[in-house]
Amino acid sequence: MKHILLFLLAWVTVHQAGQDTYVCKNVKINLYSSAPIEDIEANSTNGVSVYNSTTGELEFSLPIRSLHFPKALMEEHFNENYMESDKFPKATFKGKIEEHPDLTKDGSYPVTVTGDLTVHGVTQTRTITGNLKVSGGVVTMISEFMVKCADHRIDIPQIVFHHIAESIRIRVSATYTALKNNNPSK
Amino acid sequence: MKRIIIAFTLLTLAAGLKAQQMDTTKKAGGKTSSTDSLLNSMSSDDKHQDVIGAFKATRLILSPTTTTVKKNNLNFLVIHRFGDIGTPAGGGRTLIGLDAVSDVYIGFEYGLSDNLNIDFGRNTIGGLIELGLKYAVLHQKMDDSSPIAITFLGEYGVRPYGSFSSYSARNSYLGQAIISRKFTSALSLQVSPIYVYDNTALPDVAGNDKGFFALSGALRYKVTKHMSLIVDYEHPFSSFRTGANGFSDPLGFGIEIETGGHVFTLNITNSRAVSEINSLSNTQSDYGRGQFRIGFTISRMFDFNHHDKGNGYK
Repeated sequence: MKHILLFLLAWVTVHQAGQDTYVCKNVKINLYSSAPIEDIEANSTNGVSVYNSTTGELEFSLPIRSLHFPKALMEEHFNENYMESDKFPKATFKGKIEEHPDLTKDGSYPVTVTGDLTVHGVTQTRTITGNLKVSGGVVTMISEFMVKCADHRIDIPQIVFHHIAESIRIRVSATYTALKNNNPSK
Repeated sequence: MKRIIIAFTLLTLAAGLKAQQMDTTKKAGGKTSSTDSLLNSMSSDDKHQDVIGAFKATRLILSPTTTTVKKNNLNFLVIHRFGDIGTPAGGGRTLIGLDAVSDVYIGFEYGLSDNLNIDFGRNTIGGLIELGLKYAVLHQKMDDSSPIAITFLGEYGVRPYGSFSSYSARNSYLGQAIISRKFTSALSLQVSPIYVYDNTALPDVAGNDKGFFALSGALRYKVTKHMSLIVDYEHPFSSFRTGANGFSDPLGFGIEIETGGHVFTLNITNSRAVSEINSLSNTQSDYGRGQFRIGFTISRMFDFNHHDKGNGYK
């Protein structure tokens, strides 16, 4: 009985996420702040993303604590004072790609994604441009956009104003793998 | 046979449910889509992480905290205690004691690793030089698999000046287990059992204990993201160090302000001494007698890690 249930579960899951679903479990996120006194950079490779090529749905989720800074104190301040990662552990984006790039053909497609960006518990509707590349069946997406701290109610006190930029540059890079569909009936 | 029938029934049922689900998601505009649930299943909630920022600084007013200096970081400390505010020596004559110096500690703390620190410093009182090791053995975890953090601290103190019978008579030792918990994002508490041993009893009076246990308790309450209120209290369990013999328990109240790499603490305490060896052994100043003072701590963190820009990400 156990086996049947397991099989059933697998079957349902596979069905829900068909061949048109692409996933990436190691989305690279780079955060860069350029201010008069110092430039601050942080990186994470722990973001996850799901892309449904049929509906165009594109989603990202990033654990805030996975962003690592060169200085330990910066990382602590980022989590404690600015992002409040104990209250808001994740940043997410849920949107739709407006174009319908042909994933069966190799090529580079400029894409526009519109959706909800949630950072620090504050959601903003954003239209973000990026690039989708297909090469030998492998789908890669890259994007670069700015996030204004004030838009997400991230307060920067006057005393560190010259250390932290008002707008933070975010770079995203994700290489997707197709979710395999093992069901022969489809 | 029975099993197969059950399985088959379940399968058809699942397929039916699946079809229905597809319809509803389409109607709901993809808000509860399979993409969502897939993303949620992929992004594991990593709750087994260390709780950070129980304390902003490695020291409060009297006590060290469970917080350690991170690897290749150097913390430079200047801790100052002024003169009595409420005694005839204080008041307007010395601008509430600001003209007088009770004790100054200048010291460094260096992170050999994220968990192991070495510290070195000198106090005005007794010319006490301290050398210590601090080791974070347990970190508080977000999933409460470890509800508390424990840091051990060992200090060796020596008084190079003054007349002592031998070199070893100049030495003092302190061992402390600091136990803390960050209860909410604003409230952190800690308690520390302490053992102090002075090779020469301090003060060197007949009947005074060389070695004694003590307990300290401290509280931090974050008022804003950059400012906290702190309370710090110590009690030595020594049969000689009693109120009747003129001793008092050190108690401090303060405000802690954090600005980037600096932490400033502004406090009021009855303890003249900065070092725990001195304050636990010999606090004879009492709030009731006006023997309390303004003090401050300046803590500046320097990071010697290489600034590895990009970390392989282009």
